[in-house]
Amino acid sequence: MSRTITVHGDVNSVDTLVRLTTQGSVTAPSLVVPSGMRKIAKIIAVGATDALADDGAAVFILRLGGPAVLGGEQVIVFGAVGTQTVQTGSDAAPSIGVPLVINDADISVSPSDVVSISAEAAGVDPGDTTVAITLVYAK
Amino acid sequence: MAKQYRTREGSVTAVNTKTQLTTVGSETAPGPLLVPAGAKMLKALILAVACDNSVAADGAYFIRLEGPGLPEGPETMTVGASGVPVATGGVSTPAAFRIEIDIPVTPSNEILIFAENGGEDTGTTTIGVTLEFQM
Repeated sequence: MSRTITVHGDVNSVDTLVRLTTQGSVTAPSLVVPSGMRKIAKIIAVGATDALADDGAAVFILRLGGPAVLGGEQVIVFGAVGTQTVQTGSDAAPSIGVPLVINDADISVSPSDVVSISAEAAGVDPGDTTVAITLVYAK
Repeated sequence: MAKQYRTREGSVTAVNTKTQLTTVGSETAPGPLLVPAGAKMLKALILAVACDNSVAADGAYFIRLEGPGLPEGPETMTVGASGVPVATGGVSTPAAFRIEIDIPVTPSNEILIFAENGGEDTGTTTIGVTLEFQM
């Protein structure tokens, strides 16, 4: 049996840790590892930017920590964006994030403890970025 | 067995220049990347790269893994490539990817991660590397 949790958040500057605690219309979803779940089996992570900053070149980093994550914080890179602002009057290209899917993440967790899900952009600021993370728990 | 994930990132700003990746976003001095105690194998790499597209040029990007944590010696891996025809308006959102490998490691020893831009100088490129250790 699997259980899931999805969170998202805005990462609007580089080298700044952002805790992901919201889920659209649910402003404070529970980040407690469901009872009986012993590992994060899969991870889906994605990010995209509005590309409003010139000369952006950044990678996105996921941090999984908190009392539930056994073995200490796990840090995983999951995407990247590069940005040049357009000439006046031109259309800009979209930034379409492609999810990174890790099918065998195998991160040990402690059931009924809280997992902390955070994200960062690192490198050169590309503009405002939204990221979303799904964790799939398993026994 | 469980896995452990370690990450470093950094920006490459010159062509054919070996650049060490030493930071993790807000962690500007995380220290040496040590093979976790009890790790048996470097099981996979997760790689992400983005260029700022600030130069009308094309280049490719790769990483080097070195150090006493790798008893069989250095390894290299392609990360990606990019190019633009003009130096305005380029926006790219390349996907990160995971590749399974099977490289022996020496627990508690350091692995150093370097990145390079080969081909033409494409501007500023940021590269992120995650090492996935099998315990």
